[in-house]
Amino acid sequence: MNRAANAAKAAITTPSEREIRIERIFDAPRDRVWKALTDPALVAQWWGRGNKLVIERMEVRRGGHWRFVEHAPEGEHGFEGRYREVTPPERVVQTFEWDGMPGHVAVETMTLEDLGDGRTKLVTVSLFHTIEDRDGMLQSGMEGGVNQSYDALDRVLLELR
Amino acid sequence: MVLYQPTLDRSFAALADPTRRAILLRLGRSDASITQLAEGFDMTLTGVKKHVHVLEEAGLVSTKKLGRVHRCRLGPRRLEDVSKWIGSYRTMLEQRLDHLEDFLERTKGTP
Repeated sequence: MNRAANAAKAAITTPSEREIRIERIFDAPRDRVWKALTDPALVAQWWGRGNKLVIERMEVRRGGHWRFVEHAPEGEHGFEGRYREVTPPERVVQTFEWDGMPGHVAVETMTLEDLGDGRTKLVTVSLFHTIEDRDGMLQSGMEGGVNQSYDALDRVLLELR
Repeated sequence: MVLYQPTLDRSFAALADPTRRAILLRLGRSDASITQLAEGFDMTLTGVKKHVHVLEEAGLVSTKKLGRVHRCRLGPRRLEDVSKWIGSYRTMLEQRLDHLEDFLERTKGTP
């Protein structure tokens, strides 16, 4: 399947300003997609977006750490996090931080769905948190009210520009 | 608890309230005093002050006392900062998924 064909099947939605949801359908069985996501030897071949990737740590288990360094022409980019849930071959939940934005943590949930015809749907949901969230310093009580208002945020951003 | 430290979440919390979003929009047009804001929104001075304080804590609004008047203006933090990191993250993620797709295509037929 070429990129354009997949683009038609891909969906990106932004349920809230700090949540990103991307769906992709891959023409590959679920076990292969799972392996591509969790086997360091395979991850090294695509995760770097065409740049050389050094996998410093990749402990694919609950509580395990991961740290990847991308060697791009303009410099190195380090990324790291921890695995919160690893359920083969259907679900990985992990935190994601970029060295360039310390304290800004995303929680990524990747769900692999077997479409039954040799294809796999991968749904990635990324929810952005701050270091205060991660360290449990903030009460979670405010989340409810906050989430309700995100739809208005885009409009605000546009008008302030 | 955290002291004054603007963060993504503070911005989001500040934006959770429709009146506060309206205040930001109003200040996006021009600076205003607390009194002008109160008149514009048909609110008490105390009510407006409370909202402005929350926006100030998030770094989205700054106030300056000129004589007896509290002047409110946008900043120092811009809403753009809030979404900037999320935007670049999204681009990276999409590029990664593109490369994953290419990789799966390239290695088709392997176990």
